Amino acid sequence: MAIISLPYRYLEKLTGADKETILERLPMIGSEIERLEPDHADVEFFPNRPDLFSVEGVARAMRGFLGIECGLPTYTVKPSGITFSTDPQLAAIRPYLGSAVIRNVSLDEESILSIMGLQEALHWVVGRGRSKVAIGIHDLDSVTPPFSYIASPRTRSFVPLDFDRALSLDGILAEHPKGRDYAKIVKDFPLFPLIVDADDAVLSFPPIINGERTRVTQKTRNILLDTTGTDRRAVDIAVNIICTAMAEGGATIESVAINGTGVPALAYSERTVRIRECSDLLGVELSAPEIAHLLRRMRFGAEPEGNDHVRVQVPCYRADIMHDWDIFEDVAIAYGYGNFNAGISKTFSIGSAHPIRILEGQVRSILAGLGFLEMMPFTLTNERVMYDAMQRPRSSNALAVMHPISEEHTMVRTDILPLMLEMLQANKHRELPQRLFATGDVVRGVQTSEKVSGVSCHGTADFSEAYACVDALARELSMPYTVKESDDPAFIDGRRADVMVNGKAAGVFGEIHPAVLTAFELEHPVAAFELDLTAVPGYHGLQDSP
Amino acid sequence: MMAELTYNEKRLLAALAGKKQADAATLAAALNTTQDAVVQWAHLASDRGLVRLERTTNHAYDYTEEGRLYLKNGLPETQVFNSFSESVKFSTLQQHPSFNKIGFGQLRKKQKVDLKDGIVFKVSGASTQEDEQALKKPVVGGLREKELVWRGILLETESITYCVSITPQGAALVTQSHTITKELQYGIRGVGTLTRDQIISGAWKDCNLRQYDVTKLPKIVYPGKLHPYQRLIDEMRQIFLEMGFTEIHGGIVQSSFWNFDALFQAQDHPAREMQDTFYLNEHMPLPDGWERVRDMHERGGDTSSTGWGGTWDIKKAEQCVLRTHTTALSIQHLAAYTKAPVKAFCIDRVYRRETIDPTHTPEFEQLEGIVMDEGVGFRHLLGFLKEFYSRMGFEGVRFRPGYFPYTEPSVEPEVHVDGLGWVEMGGAGIFREEVTAPFGIEYPVLAWGLGVSRVAMLKLGLKDLRLLYRSDIDWIRQSPVHRAGNSGGRTA
Repeated sequence: MAIISLPYRYLEKLTGADKETILERLPMIGSEIERLEPDHADVEFFPNRPDLFSVEGVARAMRGFLGIECGLPTYTVKPSGITFSTDPQLAAIRPYLGSAVIRNVSLDEESILSIMGLQEALHWVVGRGRSKVAIGIHDLDSVTPPFSYIASPRTRSFVPLDFDRALSLDGILAEHPKGRDYAKIVKDFPLFPLIVDADDAVLSFPPIINGERTRVTQKTRNILLDTTGTDRRAVDIAVNIICTAMAEGGATIESVAINGTGVPALAYSERTVRIRECSDLLGVELSAPEIAHLLRRMRFGAEPEGNDHVRVQVPCYRADIMHDWDIFEDVAIAYGYGNFNAGISKTFSIGSAHPIRILEGQVRSILAGLGFLEMMPFTLTNERVMYDAMQRPRSSNALAVMHPISEEHTMVRTDILPLMLEMLQANKHRELPQRLFATGDVVRGVQTSEKVSGVSCHGTADFSEAYACVDALARELSMPYTVKESDDPAFIDGRRADVMVNGKAAGVFGEIHPAVLTAFELEHPVAAFELDLTAVPGYHGLQDSP
Repeated sequence: MMAELTYNEKRLLAALAGKKQADAATLAAALNTTQDAVVQWAHLASDRGLVRLERTTNHAYDYTEEGRLYLKNGLPETQVFNSFSESVKFSTLQQHPSFNKIGFGQLRKKQKVDLKDGIVFKVSGASTQEDEQALKKPVVGGLREKELVWRGILLETESITYCVSITPQGAALVTQSHTITKELQYGIRGVGTLTRDQIISGAWKDCNLRQYDVTKLPKIVYPGKLHPYQRLIDEMRQIFLEMGFTEIHGGIVQSSFWNFDALFQAQDHPAREMQDTFYLNEHMPLPDGWERVRDMHERGGDTSSTGWGGTWDIKKAEQCVLRTHTTALSIQHLAAYTKAPVKAFCIDRVYRRETIDPTHTPEFEQLEGIVMDEGVGFRHLLGFLKEFYSRMGFEGVRFRPGYFPYTEPSVEPEVHVDGLGWVEMGGAGIFREEVTAPFGIEYPVLAWGLGVSRVAMLKLGLKDLRLLYRSDIDWIRQSPVHRAGNSGGRTA
């Protein structure tokens, strides 16, 4: 998500409407107003619309949405005569280059901030943190064309932005803040990408940092844009978005010949869409002229083609139009989400609860009937709680997360009982007796299944209480069982039993071991049980249905 | 006034009604309690002016161990005095078994005998009769008794007795009051518990069941019950079941293929980064037909889509994650049931790599729903969302454009909450053709993934999400099962 700062004065000037009108309607093209400040608004736009990451782009869209200026915006591109050559060695490093010359810019504080903000947002959203695309903006008049995009030895040096001395490319990665931030993108290559002019002066070390020499200031009148990256489409869209935004701000765009091909073209692309498909998708009957009208308000070029089709011209800055339905969403936005006649479809179907959910519901009702309160602990936990505090060996079957965010959550629970003791610990100052249970998912290996666990904490909690609960639960679940002495170290020796179903251990119950109680800071006896619900007759038939 | 009287005060008044006055011991016997209790009740009633309580201190004598011996054998002087008739040789007297120095000393001191020339004489008319009388029936204040006390034969004792008498106000109250007269009528020794024997034998007809003060506060008991959050989840499940949806269920561990790729989330999409997703060092094989998903990513398959371009990496698709959304279950359900109609939902845990704070937890519930049928469109999607929220009791629902990688058009529903304004509730949209086409799903799929904990915070009045998962027992004990105004969306 990108948050864009919109200064009211500049936004009003570019849009041709007052800020109240703009701010009221802005959320309805797909944005969220984060903050309203005295002189500007901070607005969040969706990552699929990088063309809205500048004041100029927002104004362009709002002029259409408010009906001030509709249809396809056109941009003329003259050749600059400037050429750019690329080094074939870059094919394996950072193959794609885009460029443009932007003339007659009149940069003031607001437009510089807008362009910097746009560049930053594009780096993140389109450029994936500069790895996919990186953008350099240079003062054209401080360098000499033609330009070369080369693969350079890492020892080459120049003065990077915000420094007063030259550093080698390796030195930049080690010393410059931007170098340290983005080193991981290039550090494994033997040669580094570099952009130099006719005099071999360095413009930029993409995707890391520009040279101090081409710094853009309010005095800058002509700009050279370079975009480099690993994805042709992303590189082009970044150029298109920056050039058209600056053109909206009053600049003129000129093309650069890269290896003989003039870029950018800033040309629209065309799609012919079916009005039947559009009407069906939206659930609203729209005619070809209506659809064309709505699309022009979204700044598409659009003309009906017969009764059944609309020919749509997609502006070059729209990165999100991959499919006809992307165009239909714009029809819906222009139509207004609030104007749809919202109503459920007549689809006939018979509802059914999932059998495992039904089983869990039965377990809940049995235990509530036995006086237990339900808890809903996290399924994420850690080995200390799950095994160490229980005096149980760590399970090799436990599912660990690769990059835990805290020591508390390093694995998915394999049992629920330890979490119930944690719940007692969290409630130790509350009135006794406390009888708590939880049922839900556990994971062993990668398999999810269900368990239930209950604890009873009070002065006379004992083995027979746990046994009685297990017996009641098993009877009500139609689960015949036997018991045998258990060796589970979480319980007191001689006061613990395994629940056996069809010859397999399906649970355990008894009196919690005093050392375990102490580990959970509990001061009263606890009778406890845990049952594997996969032992309930018919469980395995429940999983696959419905 | 009667209402303020304790039950025991009433019993006391009733017991006094016939007698006008009685001592505490009598009343204690009649009320089957201790004297202390009677005095305590009388104090209460006395404060109300219904009885008078008089305290009397009583003096009496008791015997020492020595005294009890003399009571049996006579005082030492009596024993000596009675061992001869008129006179006796002192040496002979000393040989007599009844002789003792204390007794002889007493007789000499009180001049009941004389000793002359070795002969002991009884003084004319002397006797120990009166001393014996004082020993056997001591009279409070008597000189001989005082002497016996001094000699350690008698003990002076002091006891306090209470006398309770009913005042005219008390008597009037008893006559007026239905409860007390009834208690009078039935006697005060009411029966506390009705027993099986009494019921069978018919004894209940004669035993008077004690009447209770029904206005007293009850003992607080807490029933076993479901977690408030589970009850809310069940409420939501009920709504979708009533609307004809099939509930689905699936594993917490999913391959990236089902969690991301099948939903046309580009392999370099930021949402797939380690930053936001719990990745696992586990891999799962891809389902048959995975190549169609690859083709869709790379070139847009056979649809009007361009695809994401680039090269799709099977290794990335095989890596497992803790599901980041239940949409991973929806797409698998659709892949298995490609024929219309499909209406399915689930409410289950999803996992995001978020730092815990009052409004973020690394796992939380998501309400997932899909509708696939001929002729369903965006208008119906908005209809289902509106229907659900209005059944949950949210009257104001509005829709804003949204963005999700796997839906188009996309929408963010918002509900209006007094005091908060418009609150964002989740995301919804129509599955992109890039999502449905590889699985041969024949019609558009309306889909939503809504925040459940957001609804819980609003409905249960919670400010800290963590309390749902690490709950205070008292909060569960005190949160009622039925919430007023919660009609489950039935309006007619």
